[in-house]
Amino acid sequence: MSIPELLINDHFITQLDREKIDDFSARSGLSFIKIALNFGYISRKNYERSMMNAGYLFPEVRELPFDPEILSKIELKFADQHVALPLRIENNRVVTLMADPGNELFIDFIRFTYDCEPEIIVASDLDIVWLSHKLLGDKYVKSAVFELLNRDPANSAFTTFSSGQLITLFGVFALVVIGLVRNFKTTSIAINVIISVFFLVAILFKLFLAVVGSRFELHQAVTRDDLKEIIDDDLPIYTILLPVYKEDKLIKKLIWNLQAIDYPRERLDIKLLIEEDDDKTLNAVRNLDFPAIFEVVVVPFLMPKTKPKACNYGLHFSRGKYLTIYDAEDIPDTDQLKKVVSMFGKLPSNYICIQSALNYYNRNENFLTRMFTLEYSYWFDYMLPGLDTLDIPIPLGGTSNHFKLENLVELGAWDPFNVTEDADLGVRAYAKGYKIAVINSTTYEEANNEPFNWIRQRSRWIKGYMQTYLVHMRNPVALWKKLGWRGFLGFSFFIGATPLTFLVYPFLLGIFISYLVFDLTSIRTLFPDWVLFMSIFNLMVGNILMIYINMMAVFKRRFYELILFSIANPVYWLMHSFAAFKGLYQLVVKPFYWEKTEHGLSKVTSPTNVVK
Amino acid sequence: MRNQSKYLLLITLLLAVYYLVTGIYLSKLGYFSQEGLFYIEKTKIIVDGLGNRLKVMGLTSPILPFYTSFIFSSIYGGIFAPIIASSICTALLFYMMASALIKRVVDIYYIFVLLIIFIFHPGILYAACSGKSIAMVLIFFFLFFFNLLKFYRSNTTFHVSIASISLVILIFCDYKFIWLTLFFIPLVLTITIQSLNLGEQESIFRLFLSFNNPSLRRKLINKTFALYIILFVLPLSCVIFYKLLNLTHANDLDYFNESPYATWTVLADKLSFDQLSTSTVYQLPETSILVSARVLIFCPLMLIAIYLFRESTYQILTLLTPFAFVEFLHIKYEKVFLAQQYYLIFIILSLLCVLYKAQTIKNQRVLKLLVGGLALVQLYTGFIFLQSSTIKEERNFISVLFNGAADTKQDQNRDLANYLNHLPADAHILVDDAIAYPVVAFTKNIQKLTLPYQGAFLNAIEAPDKYDDYILLATGKNEVTGFTQLNNKYVPIIKKSNSALRLRRVYETDDWILYKIFDN
Repeated sequence: MSIPELLINDHFITQLDREKIDDFSARSGLSFIKIALNFGYISRKNYERSMMNAGYLFPEVRELPFDPEILSKIELKFADQHVALPLRIENNRVVTLMADPGNELFIDFIRFTYDCEPEIIVASDLDIVWLSHKLLGDKYVKSAVFELLNRDPANSAFTTFSSGQLITLFGVFALVVIGLVRNFKTTSIAINVIISVFFLVAILFKLFLAVVGSRFELHQAVTRDDLKEIIDDDLPIYTILLPVYKEDKLIKKLIWNLQAIDYPRERLDIKLLIEEDDDKTLNAVRNLDFPAIFEVVVVPFLMPKTKPKACNYGLHFSRGKYLTIYDAEDIPDTDQLKKVVSMFGKLPSNYICIQSALNYYNRNENFLTRMFTLEYSYWFDYMLPGLDTLDIPIPLGGTSNHFKLENLVELGAWDPFNVTEDADLGVRAYAKGYKIAVINSTTYEEANNEPFNWIRQRSRWIKGYMQTYLVHMRNPVALWKKLGWRGFLGFSFFIGATPLTFLVYPFLLGIFISYLVFDLTSIRTLFPDWVLFMSIFNLMVGNILMIYINMMAVFKRRFYELILFSIANPVYWLMHSFAAFKGLYQLVVKPFYWEKTEHGLSKVTSPTNVVK
Repeated sequence: MRNQSKYLLLITLLLAVYYLVTGIYLSKLGYFSQEGLFYIEKTKIIVDGLGNRLKVMGLTSPILPFYTSFIFSSIYGGIFAPIIASSICTALLFYMMASALIKRVVDIYYIFVLLIIFIFHPGILYAACSGKSIAMVLIFFFLFFFNLLKFYRSNTTFHVSIASISLVILIFCDYKFIWLTLFFIPLVLTITIQSLNLGEQESIFRLFLSFNNPSLRRKLINKTFALYIILFVLPLSCVIFYKLLNLTHANDLDYFNESPYATWTVLADKLSFDQLSTSTVYQLPETSILVSARVLIFCPLMLIAIYLFRESTYQILTLLTPFAFVEFLHIKYEKVFLAQQYYLIFIILSLLCVLYKAQTIKNQRVLKLLVGGLALVQLYTGFIFLQSSTIKEERNFISVLFNGAADTKQDQNRDLANYLNHLPADAHILVDDAIAYPVVAFTKNIQKLTLPYQGAFLNAIEAPDKYDDYILLATGKNEVTGFTQLNNKYVPIIKKSNSALRLRRVYETDDWILYKIFDN
């Protein structure tokens, strides 16, 4: 009895399901078992149950010996499509791992390729996937790591500081030291003025952007009527990459969220990217007692172990016309993918990416989640639309950015050496003349609710911003020519200035507090009247404006209960400063180290993403 | 639409020129507003002065009209800078209102009415040609209410935050508008109640429902509070910040509002106070309650405005807020006359309501007739109000404008300034610009003067012979002589401490005596 018949016999799938799977298999080239297990037809538990009842055993296969010569004759993608892998020749038979021992096409492949009959060992599909990626994924993982570096080394963060940058940095440092030694007061005042002017411009620019962004509050990039016009059969294949690492707690939640997405299941190409050493997550998938709707892709071990490397690896196996990334805990608006398809249809062809808003479902959990919500509301609801309107490069958010896959590949995909690969990619896209749009759809994430976890995550972001700035500022003139003056200034303010602001903030606050508490006369000499005027203006008006912008953003989101928390922003910024110093330290000591953020810490479990 | 905008721009330009020519014509006839002269004098200090100019720059109040005037200070010696600023601002106000109008109402008739008001209304002409801050006040008053009305319709943060920013600027154009916030407190609650998603339509029952349901109550409180914050946190914190700035730079939180060195209103209010305290004639029009009635006579178009918004309680309340505001001003500043700008805001508000709602009225003919008729009435009442104003400066404006009669009020100051201009280049004159700012405004070389913004001023008062060659003293007839040390009491006092000091009168007007100091 064939496996499909077995499953029908055990009532795990229906005849109709089988017809659907066969039809899909004929169209896509994927094997029956691949579709059955990865497109929501049967759970792995039931599949194993059925197989075991039929007398199949699932031995441990990961440690089985293999022959590289045999492996060299099979392509990973083919093995992956059929969930089967030949390992070696023994007793004139090819020892072959198969999830579906009745897969005639693959058996024929073995016969023709090796000129021997197969010796089939039935194994868990996940083990076969794990083994095939480990044994055959070498060229893909090398490409994932080195493709950008080989193709476009100028845009790779493999080198953190260029020689020119080091000379400039040390040159400026030396000048400041000489200045301080020769004339402490004048040099200090000069530094003071530069910082004050910088802060002033940055604050006013941000207010301007927020006001510009808030104008589009009612603008619906994609309306309900646009969505009604979409015909399901015309929708393209959509790839969703889900890079995870030790997220075993979130797998059930992930499936629940993916199930809710309003998009034809067969046109979804969802890839769960699991690191080779991440057995926790793999076992969590294995133990699911309901059907999964994603394919597992195992990323072979190769340093650096970063999210962009995993995504680049997953890109090799992606089938979609469009592609997006979600984190394991993300809850996108159910109609997000359809909205994106509709919007891409409306936009000119040079728009290659659409960014959705990000927000948090656990906003009222504690102080940190509230502050995070304030920050994200302001960033995604006001700043990004503002940047979009003014045609300034948008630093993409970590998830929910939707790409045209072919353009993404053309750009060289993500930089695996950059820890904020998304922001970097946004700038690279602009530099090549592409555009990014912002859509009226939100993905709800889990706000970090634990301070140390928060610091880890934030230090990575800030380090990434530093990396991105350094990468693109290796040749500022060339960048200015590519981005135009608006883009260049926008890039400097948003990517370059952000870490700098956080690094300087505690010093300025320290000076201010010392001034208030100790009334030090030496401090007073560094603040001549007009500098004091500007500094007080920055301190007061700057803080007030930034707080106000935050208030506006949560007001827009109708999170009224959060409005007063905006006042706590100066404290929140201090936490940023702490993370910024950690990020700076890591930038020098271990630039590619990916500070892992723990997810699944939130106790909030009732998010709503259903678009009514 | 593009063509209309072009025409509008052209009309605005012509209007600005018209205001400017009128303003310069008036100043040639000798008309200068106190406020304009004050800005000219402070601008001179900032541009040419030697001393703590930063304090003058940062704490001169109202700060934004001063800065706007400052922008034009390089034109023609800066003497027309306030007039240029007010002309441009008034033309800009017309442009804003007219462009908002053409977006909403297709009929050109309303543009015509607007234009008539901006060309002929004496109050608007006063705002445009006097070099005062009224035009800026009107612009931001318009923006504040316009965005508030837009917010009522769209419920967007953008409009409420723009309204809030407009309110901030409005307060920094005229500090008294801070009291406007007071009357929005009940209004915000009404807005929130209206915005709750309830089946009940009647406001009082909506309130009842909201208070008796814990979930709705929480929502109501949260939303009301949030709206307060969004609307008022910016103005209030900016005022606090500005007061702190005053404290750090002048050791007085209210320096900008209470020092004659920082604002011209201190002396203007003092003159009002004197007039009201000593006048034997009872000033009936300045009585409370009657102010609202006066407003309606001044601007009967307000009745149309209220009619247009009759269906919405909180929009009506919004329109009534400025009434409460002017009544409050009258009570709060009981010895100060209500200046023209507090009447003019109603003209702007009523026009705003017409431009916002006119298209919703079916019977356009009647509406047009009413709007046109009342606009004409307003031209007349505007004239009457200015002509019979209790504020001398306003009366003078009308008499100079309509009779072409020269205004001699500043003649003596100008003559005195001319005399100072002709003194030797190395001569130093001790002047207190708390009251002598009109004289300083007309002088050409401010570096000859020792003024209070300079550190040497206090020393110069103690020992004038060591620092200066001349002293300008206010006579007993000077209306504001009490605001300076350099008045007729100064000579006996300084003679007591320094009997060897020899002074001789070299120039004298009704208000001033210039003494020359002789070396011993």
